[in-house]
This record gives sequence, C-alpha cells and structure tokens, in this order.
Amino acid sequence: MSATATRPETDYLLRKLHSLTGIIPVGAFLVEHFWSNSYALVSQAQYDAKSQELQTIPFRIFVEWAFIFLPMLYHGGYGIYIWLRGKANVSAYPWVGNWLYTTQRYTGLIAFAYIGWHLYTERWLTHGRSTYADVENLLRNPYALAFMFVGVVASSFHLGVGIWNFLCKWGLAATVKAQRAAGALGAVVGFTFSLVGVLIVCSFWLNWHPFDFYVK
Amino acid sequence: MRQPRIIVVGGGLAGLMATIRVAEAGVPVDLFSIVPVKRSHSVCAQGGINAAKNQKGEGDTTWKHFDDTIYGGDFLANQSLVKRMCEAAPGIIDLLDRMGVMFNRTPEGLLDYRRFGGTLYHRTAFAGATTGQQLLYALDEQVRRHEAEDRVKKYEGQTFLSAVIDEGGVCRGICAMDLRSMEVKTYPADAVIFCTGGIGAIFGRSTNSVVCTGSAQSALFQQGVDYANGEFIQVHPTAIPGEDKLRLMSESARGEGGRVWVPKNPADTRAAQSIPDGERFYFLEEWYPKYGNLVPRDIATRAIHRIVYQEKLGIRGQAAVYLDVTHIPKETLDRKLEGILEIYEKFLGVDPRVEPMKVFPAMHYTMGGIWVNAEDQATNVSGIYAAGECEYQYHGANRLGANSLVSCIFGGGLAGPAAVKYARNLEKGAESTSASVYENERKRQEEKNQALILPDGTENPVAIWRELGEVMTEHVTVTRINKDLEAADVKIRELQERYGRINLSDRTKWSNQTLNFARELGNMLILARVITLGALQRDESRGAHYKPDFPERDDANWLKTTRAKWLNGEIHLSYEAVDISQIPLRARRYDAAK
Amino acid sequence: MAEAKQVIVRIKRQAGPKVAPYWEEFALPWRPAMNVIICLRDIAENPVTRDGKKTTPISYDSNCLEEVCGSCAMLINGRARMACSALVDKLEQPIRLEPFSKFPVVRDLAVDRQFMFESLKRVNGWIPIDGTYDLGEGPRMAPEIQEKAYPLSRCISCGSCLEVCPQVNDNNQFIGAAIVSQVRLFNMHPTGAMHAKERIQALMEPGGIQDCANAQNCVKACPKDIPLTESLAEMNRQAWKQALVGWLIG
Repeated sequence: MSATATRPETDYLLRKLHSLTGIIPVGAFLVEHFWSNSYALVSQAQYDAKSQELQTIPFRIFVEWAFIFLPMLYHGGYGIYIWLRGKANVSAYPWVGNWLYTTQRYTGLIAFAYIGWHLYTERWLTHGRSTYADVENLLRNPYALAFMFVGVVASSFHLGVGIWNFLCKWGLAATVKAQRAAGALGAVVGFTFSLVGVLIVCSFWLNWHPFDFYVK
Repeated sequence: MRQPRIIVVGGGLAGLMATIRVAEAGVPVDLFSIVPVKRSHSVCAQGGINAAKNQKGEGDTTWKHFDDTIYGGDFLANQSLVKRMCEAAPGIIDLLDRMGVMFNRTPEGLLDYRRFGGTLYHRTAFAGATTGQQLLYALDEQVRRHEAEDRVKKYEGQTFLSAVIDEGGVCRGICAMDLRSMEVKTYPADAVIFCTGGIGAIFGRSTNSVVCTGSAQSALFQQGVDYANGEFIQVHPTAIPGEDKLRLMSESARGEGGRVWVPKNPADTRAAQSIPDGERFYFLEEWYPKYGNLVPRDIATRAIHRIVYQEKLGIRGQAAVYLDVTHIPKETLDRKLEGILEIYEKFLGVDPRVEPMKVFPAMHYTMGGIWVNAEDQATNVSGIYAAGECEYQYHGANRLGANSLVSCIFGGGLAGPAAVKYARNLEKGAESTSASVYENERKRQEEKNQALILPDGTENPVAIWRELGEVMTEHVTVTRINKDLEAADVKIRELQERYGRINLSDRTKWSNQTLNFARELGNMLILARVITLGALQRDESRGAHYKPDFPERDDANWLKTTRAKWLNGEIHLSYEAVDISQIPLRARRYDAAK
Repeated sequence: MAEAKQVIVRIKRQAGPKVAPYWEEFALPWRPAMNVIICLRDIAENPVTRDGKKTTPISYDSNCLEEVCGSCAMLINGRARMACSALVDKLEQPIRLEPFSKFPVVRDLAVDRQFMFESLKRVNGWIPIDGTYDLGEGPRMAPEIQEKAYPLSRCISCGSCLEVCPQVNDNNQFIGAAIVSQVRLFNMHPTGAMHAKERIQALMEPGGIQDCANAQNCVKACPKDIPLTESLAEMNRQAWKQALVGWLIG
C-alpha cells in the first residue's frame, strides 16, 4: 500500500463512480436512446419528429455534456484503466463469471469505440441535426453497417452484464439466490437490447417499418 | 527496571495463549513457529472443549469434570493441577466466547454442549466439528492484534534447534534455524516457553500434522530437560486409514449418537446399509452398556482391536469397523458434524450420511511429555517452561476427549505469567550473559548441520523414518509385549546407527527441507527410545498402556510417574510419586457405573 | 505380467525466488488412494527423475493433510487446489504441479503467503477484547447468526481465492475475497460490530474491496465452500453505505 497524498478512499470513490455512471446516466441514456430510435420502426416521419423533439430540448448542450458525454468519457476512460489493472485468466478457469469478466472488457472497448464513431457521424458531422436520411445514407456503406450491428450488440451485452455486476457489487443482490436472479435480469436486458438494436439497424438498412400500420 | 524478554516456541493453542498472557503483562514476546501460526496442528482438533458449565441442568460440576478426568486417566495424573484446570475451564470457555469463537448455540442464544467420551454429562462446547480450528483462529487473531501493536514479534518459518544454556545451567535463549536461508542464529531471552505439541511423526502415520515430530522436546531432553510418562500414547479408536495420514474421525460423531458396529458375519458382503439391525454387532454398546459408544478412547480402541484381531470380526476380514451416523437426521449432521463428514467424503469419495464410515484406531496423542512442576509449568531447567501437548501434566494414563484444548489453553495461560514473574525476578538477565555462550551454541548447531550435509552416506532419511514408524506402530501402541518392546528398542538402535550414515539427497543452502527433516529424525529416534523403554519397564496395564502379560493396574508398584533423564548420552528412567491428595484410588471400570 | 501401473508427475521447479524455473518429470508406482502429497513423499524417498537422473526432493508446504491448515495449496493441472485432497485417480496424467503464481516462490512448490496475514492486520482482523482476565460470559447470539458466521470462520488462508482472481496481479494488490469475508465475520459478532467502521474504512483503501470485479472465480475455487461472493456483496453494501452516510451526516 503506497502512501498517497489524496484521501485513502479516493481510489474507492473513483471506482464506485465508474460503476455508478455505467448505470446512471450511461445505462439510462442507452435505454432512452434505443427507445427514441425505435421510432424508426414506425416510420421515417415519426423518427424525424422524435429526433427533432430531442434536438430541440432546452439547455441541450449542457444536458448533453453533463448527462451523456462526460459520464461516458469517464466510464470508458476509467474502464480502460481498470482493464489494464486486471489480468484475465479465462483459459485456466473457464467459468461463466470469468467469461463474463473477460467479455465485459472487450465489449466495453468495442462499445466505447463505436459510440465515439457514432457520435462523430451522427452528432458532429451533422451538427446535431441528424435525420433519418443521414443514417440511411451512412448505412449504405457495408462497413458502417457491420460496425453498427457489432456496436449495438456489444453495447447491449455490456449493459446486461453491467446490471448484473452493479447489483452484486453494490450488495443489492447479496445472496446466491438474489445474484442468480440479478444474472437472469442482466441476461434478459442484454438479449432484449441486442434484439431491439438489431431491429432498428435493419429498419434503416432495409427501409423496413414493421409498425407503420399505426400511421397508415 | 530491567525490561525482560520472553520467547515462546510453538504457535498452537498453548503457545498463542502463553504469548497473549505475556504480552498482556507488558513484556515483549518473540514467537517462533515452523509454520505460520495459523497453520498449526491445533486446527485439527475437531470435537470440542470441555467445561462443566452445567448448561443442560444435569447437575454437572467442575468437581465431576475433575473426577472424570482423573478416573479417565487411571489416576496417573497429579491431582492438584488437574483440579485447577477443571475449575478454570468454564472461564476459559467464556473467554473464547468473548474472543469471537463461533460456538454452536441453543435457541436461547447460549452455548450448546454435547456429550463426549468418558463422561455422562453434556460438557463439551463445540463450533461445528472444527472446534480446534475455531479456537486457534481466535487466539491467532488476538496475537495478531498484539503484533500490530508491537508487543509480539513473530518468527514464522523458523525451527527450534536447541536452548542456549549457560554455565550455571540457566536457559538464556534459543538457537533456531531459518527454514528458507537455513541460517542458524541464537536469540536471547530471559525465559522460554515451549509449546511444541505432539509427536505423531515418531509413529510414522498418525492423526497428527507433519510438524508434530517431537523434535523440540527431544532436543531439550538431550540438554537436560526431563521427559515424563513417555510410554502413555493415546490411540484414537476412530480414524480413516490413509497412506500419508490417518485422518481423525472425531469422537463427536459418537457424541452426537454415532454407533460403532461390525456385521455379525464377517463374510457378509452386503453393503453396510442393507445389513439388518439384527445382524449387526454393536459391540461397544453390548460390552459397556452404561457408556456405550462413549467409553474412553483406550477402552474403545482395545475393543476394536479385540473385534478385529481376536474375534476376527473386522469388516470382510479387514482391519476396519463401521462408524455409523446414517440414522441421525441430515440436518443435524450438517449443523454439528459437517467439518468431519466432509473430510471423509473428500478423501474417500463416499457420503457418510448415506453409507457408514469404515474406521480403525490410529496413534493420536501423547499424554507424556516434558516434565513440568505441579504449580506453574516450569521444567527442571531454570528459565524453561512447557505447556500444551508437549508436556505431561494433565491427562495421566489416558486423555479424555475434548480435554486437550482446555489443557492447552490452561497450561499456556499459566506458563505465560509464570515466565514473566521468573524473568522479572532474575537478578541477571540474558543481557549479562556472555556472548560466547550464544556463539558456542550456534557453532555446535552449525556443526551438526555440517555433519549431516557433508558425508556421502547411503541411508535415505525418509526410509529410516518409515521403518521407525512401522516398528513403533506395531509394538509400542495398543498392545505391548515385553519381548516385542525389546525387539523394538534393538530396531531403533539399528536405525540410529544407520542414521549415522545418512545421505541427504539435497545439499543446497536454500529452503532445504531435507536437512531440516534429517535433524528432526535424529531427535525422533531418541524420543522413540524414551517411549519404548518407558513402556518396557512399566509392567502393568494402566489407561492407554496395556500389557496382556500384566493385565491389571498395579498401584502398589506402578502408581508413579516415569521420569526420563538424559545422563552422559544415555536414557535413564527414574520414578516419582503421583499426587492423589483429592480423589482416592478406585478401580476403573466402564462396563458398570463407577 | 502386465506392466505395473505408473503415475507420471511433471513438476515446475525453481531453486530459489530469483532463478529461472524448469520442469522435471517423475514416474511413480501407482497405489490405491494416492494423493499428490503421497507422490511428493515418494519422490523424497527416491529423488530420481523419469529418465533416471538424480535430483533433489521437492520443496513444498504441508502440515495437516486434511485440508484444514491451508498449507499445501498449489496449481494442480493448472488449477488452484489443495495437494492433500487431490486424489491421483481423479486427475488427468501427467499430473502437472506448479507453485501458485500470485505469490512469490520460495522454492519449487512452496510460496510466501505473508501478504494474506499482513492484510488481516490491515483490516483489524480480531475481536478487540479488554483482556483475558475473567469478565464473564460473552454476548448472546442467535443460532441463526452463528450458522451464518460459522462457515466464514472456516477460512484456512490457503490463498486459492487470490490465485484465481483476475484482479490480483503485479499491477494490482487487491486484498482478496478471503480477507473481505473475514471482515464480514468480525463485523457480524456483537463485540466486533462495535468496531465495524474501522474495518470497513480499511476495506476502502487502495487494494480494497473496490478492486473486486465480480468474476466470481473465488467462490468456485474455495476448498471450504465459503460463500465468498455473498461476503463481497455484503461488505460492498456496508462500504458504500458508510461512505455515503459518513459524507451526508457524518
């Protein structure tokens, strides 16, 4: 234990902050983001209306930085730091928890890179005025399309495992039984989000709007 | 005032208790142990610890505990100190409880007690079936606290080689070897407390741990510390046979209702569970209706030997009997006996909750040990104290189950303050001992190492040890016959002679376990002779010492303590009277009420 | 006559802490109910490798041989295990023996696990009693609490949970599941609970409970089946509550 100038529990607090930001606000934002994007499954017009609504909220730039960009940067950056301090051993101990530990690191990195790219294309290049047409255009590029699929699945997986980790690591699921239930919850979330995410990407890719009968 | 310094050798229950008491008195302690103290052999004690708290309203008293102990030990123990121990036992339980030992509880939140061998009372407090482990950890934690607060310094991974004794015959410290660097060093102290445990390794395989070699006791014996009642060796009736170790199956299995039996027909090949009750021979219950399966250990062990060797009723002709707990509800077993049942399951791959266990007696404990006085654990050498299994004071000719833990803690608790008092009253402490006294001892020990490492001999120490174990187990355990004991002594002397031609297959200077083992082996051989000669001389049967040629206890000639002395490189046996001031002698019979 | 059955053992050896390791192979006569300790003793009695080369006996730690002292932990076929309870007939051959990788090697299979004992000191791993003189009975305790605490008190400090933990390595001195579980034990005791705060505080220092990343290998590797993940969760909850409450209302 090295003497540090900071308070002894600084490391503890930073680690806890990392864990917390993964759920709130990053996880919560992911929920919102999947929800608003699933308007694409209804129609192009509905999607653009929803986008416009979100793009015109008051204090937008502050909300974006405070609740999305900064927490995400912190969660991702500190996550990489955590990764570097661990040493995966899943080949020696191929147990489920250990697999999740390892994949959580890779999916986190993929999700982080993907979200950076996604922000660049949909937020930066479009000056925050991205439309259905922009996304549709982008996905004509097969690499972009593939990355989109990988990205949404990695993010969903990371969220699912993250929920399990969060419930265990904050002692909210303390007994073996509760931890098993937390794992099931994480699995359901991960799977559901993967599915919804893939459907949304398909919607842009194939111009497919299964819920368009709502507006017909 | 001069600040004395005290060394404790051995970090089991007795050593840790002594350490705590010395530290509490404000005297710094150096604690030496071969293994990290948390790994000491005390962890193997399973069943529990005795104290007459009368928690079950049976009218138990400390006097009855005292009486059971003396009677169980066949009147060989000096009575005054045993009485003090039994009186102190309830307080010891309270102390352990305060230290956080997770004893089993009654619904009222009080400590639960179970029955053990050699008594009719529920007198044994227990923490599952790993009581020794729990007790050791509690004391280990207290010592760690003293260590964190700089009152105790631990020297783990150090083996004791010899005491440093000055020209006046006063102990001034110890000489020890670091088991990594193999460096031999002396450490000054005003008093040294030895708590070096059992001697199982002398019998090759036993229920003891690897470090229980008796090497320290033997080294002290060769420096003039007397050794008493060496011939009294307890063979535990129920252990799981194994090639590396005979794993104990605690008496608590019987305390909780376990029954010992064999098929009436030894050729019966059916699985134990499917043999009907009428075709089973519950020999302990039949032969000892009052105590049944809870007769003292020496009685149960001899009964099993009789079943196997005389009645030829061992299971399918093998040296084994059934220890059966399958009739006890699984919930009770898991709550009260899980630790030991788990051992059986792990090492044999059979679930003892479903299938009766196969067990056989195994060397377990030495009642004999370093001679100490009847007041405060002092040996016959000034400045040397002893407590725990390594000394002889509390158990007479046979130890009752669950009395060892209490004797360790009581003895350690007594030795600590006694050593402090002695050290404080010394006119001249270790600081005024001349450096040459230490240097000479260090050189003597270095030379011993060199003598072992250098020659290109032919004898493998492990092989010698195995042969020693075989001869000791065969002739010096349950049944003792004079001509066999004589033969055993001849054999040990032959082994000693071969030991002189030892060949260490490892001559390196770092973490050389072979060298350390060879040193221990030399000491084991001498202690083996002390045990064998003591047994040979004692022509009677008393407690664990049983001679078919002398089947009765002979108080007229043998109500006396054997006291072995080392004079001019030879073992001399002398005898001294036993203190029977409190409880008059009576015949020891467990087949009827006493 | 059929060839006598053999046990082949490959051992990673190392003469001292700072020298390079090497492997040696031994062929031993098979016997019923052999365990890894018996193999090591066979080698000590006849230290000759499979190809007939004379060598030194293997250094290793052992004591009780019934899985209660925690000494003989090592890697057996790549897994953290106790050598005494590793039965040869249940192991794939050749049996590979290696020292634990997360602790400094002393020699051959013996490692230095002092880190664990130091950690117990760090977290005040004891019940602070006033003294060993007679102060009457201890606090009463519901059997339910005892039944929860007892399994925790069976930790043998073997180090298996640290060995298998991906968060324990040269970059990260995570204190490990065993110690966290011990804190839970001390905090459950009525007297220990009076000093729970100090122990929790110690768990929040660098290398503390925050370094657990929930891989849950510890609970799988524990030879004593201690519910380590429950202990980690429980102590995690106590820790953040203490941090939050301490910050909010002191």
